[in-house]
Amino acid sequence: MARIHLTPDLSSMLEFATVGSSVTRQHRRGGGGRKHAIRRMAGEFQNEIEWTLRDISTSVQVGECVALIGLPDDGREEFLRLAAGTLFPDEGTVRRKEVIIPMIGVVPALDRSYTVRQNIYIVGGLLGMTPDEVESKVDLIAEQAEIEGRLDKYLGVARPIVRQKLAWSICMAIETRAYAIDQLLVVGDGEYRDHCWATLDRKRAEGVTFLVSSDTDEHLTRFCDRAIVISQGAIIAETSVEEGIEIRNAMIPDSKRKRERARSEEEDEEDYEDL
Amino acid sequence: MLRMLVLRDLQKTYTKLRLGYLWTLLEPLGMSIVLWLVFSVLLSRNIGQQPYALFITVGILPWWWFTKGIAQTTRSFKRNANAIRISLLPTQIWVLRVVLVSMIEFIFSLPIIVLAMILTRTFPGPLILLFPVAMLVQFLLMYGLGLLVASGVAVIPDLARIVRIVMRALFYLSPVLYSITKIPEHIQPFASLNPMVAILGLYRIGFWPSEIETPWHYALSFGVIVVIITIGFLVFKRLEPRILKGA
Repeated sequence: MARIHLTPDLSSMLEFATVGSSVTRQHRRGGGGRKHAIRRMAGEFQNEIEWTLRDISTSVQVGECVALIGLPDDGREEFLRLAAGTLFPDEGTVRRKEVIIPMIGVVPALDRSYTVRQNIYIVGGLLGMTPDEVESKVDLIAEQAEIEGRLDKYLGVARPIVRQKLAWSICMAIETRAYAIDQLLVVGDGEYRDHCWATLDRKRAEGVTFLVSSDTDEHLTRFCDRAIVISQGAIIAETSVEEGIEIRNAMIPDSKRKRERARSEEEDEEDYEDL
Repeated sequence: MLRMLVLRDLQKTYTKLRLGYLWTLLEPLGMSIVLWLVFSVLLSRNIGQQPYALFITVGILPWWWFTKGIAQTTRSFKRNANAIRISLLPTQIWVLRVVLVSMIEFIFSLPIIVLAMILTRTFPGPLILLFPVAMLVQFLLMYGLGLLVASGVAVIPDLARIVRIVMRALFYLSPVLYSITKIPEHIQPFASLNPMVAILGLYRIGFWPSEIETPWHYALSFGVIVVIITIGFLVFKRLEPRILKGA
């Protein structure tokens, strides 16, 4: 019943071969006025297929830290989900050598009506940990997320930062060789962030592969070796992180660019409600 | 595999934390009493086997499991959308979970049958061993049908309502309240296309071996069960990409 397919003898960690992902929207037949009224009453639907990603072919080698750069809605999230296997491609094939843990929308996956401990078991289980594994890691996770002593409290009233820390800690506690991260690279405030970086740097030194999408450019330049730039569903460049950021910035319309620059000074407290 | 099962068990016990177990028994029990009253006492028609109180109880409890279970599967992908998004586990798990939870609730409600047995002083023969077999078959049917329905709802949201209406109708069209032998001969083949016919027969055979007088009813029904399960699996496989996209 396994759903995640692995190709253990693959040379790279991850390979995309002409991958495409589409979304089908249904539109009622257009046209107003009486002439088309009957058509509309008959409920005629027109299916419009929109390709979120098309013809994506690339690969990520073992141990690399790759940044995924692009404008919002350009397909970065779909790319990460395809890489991890939580989305099936409509075209092409995705092959991965080992399990790639998705850190995409982990925070919404935490259920407020369960206790912290239960959430750890659930999210851990969803990500492939056996209950025994979780058992042995619960204390570690609690320590990492700084929630010892509150393990059996319901998650309901916890502040967003606590949930982010919890989500991050659970994912980082998994013994895996690859991550696909969407926005959740580092969490919390200054001191906690240093701790996050320490963990990430240690993992990178151990040869863990990372595929990261983040709206905080400084994180990418600090952490990643190279970048894949995506625009409107296609890879337009594979280059260094700095250059990738420049290419993306060039694509932002002027008015937005000014706002971006003004905001880049602030500490980015990402809003996870949208994910 | 095992890890999946155990994790699900956890989810299960915790989802039940806030329910009052007893309340879930009262509904089917209440229904049984009312229907017994109507058909056995008020109308005095001999549409089932005797004693009718026991007959109807043995019919209603599995039906209750069936209805509630399938109704819940229609929502299972939507409710768990956030978890599906990040799940590396097989997506079938969400349907399986619902079917198992409702099965456990069914098992907890079985004391009602025991109660009815005591009150009517009717005890089963050796064929009662087929009762667990009936449960197994019903479980498989619900899993397949649940996959079918849950996948369908992901594509056509209206399906949830249609399912509800169909279940209502099926209750009266299925031999829950009556025996299939009691309806007109020429209608019996059509009635046998109902998968629950075979299952209900297996539940009842321990008490009323005469139910299986006409085995072809049950063969037909079993055939339908196999078809439904197969279709369910196929449809799910086909629609899984869309389900994942919608999460």
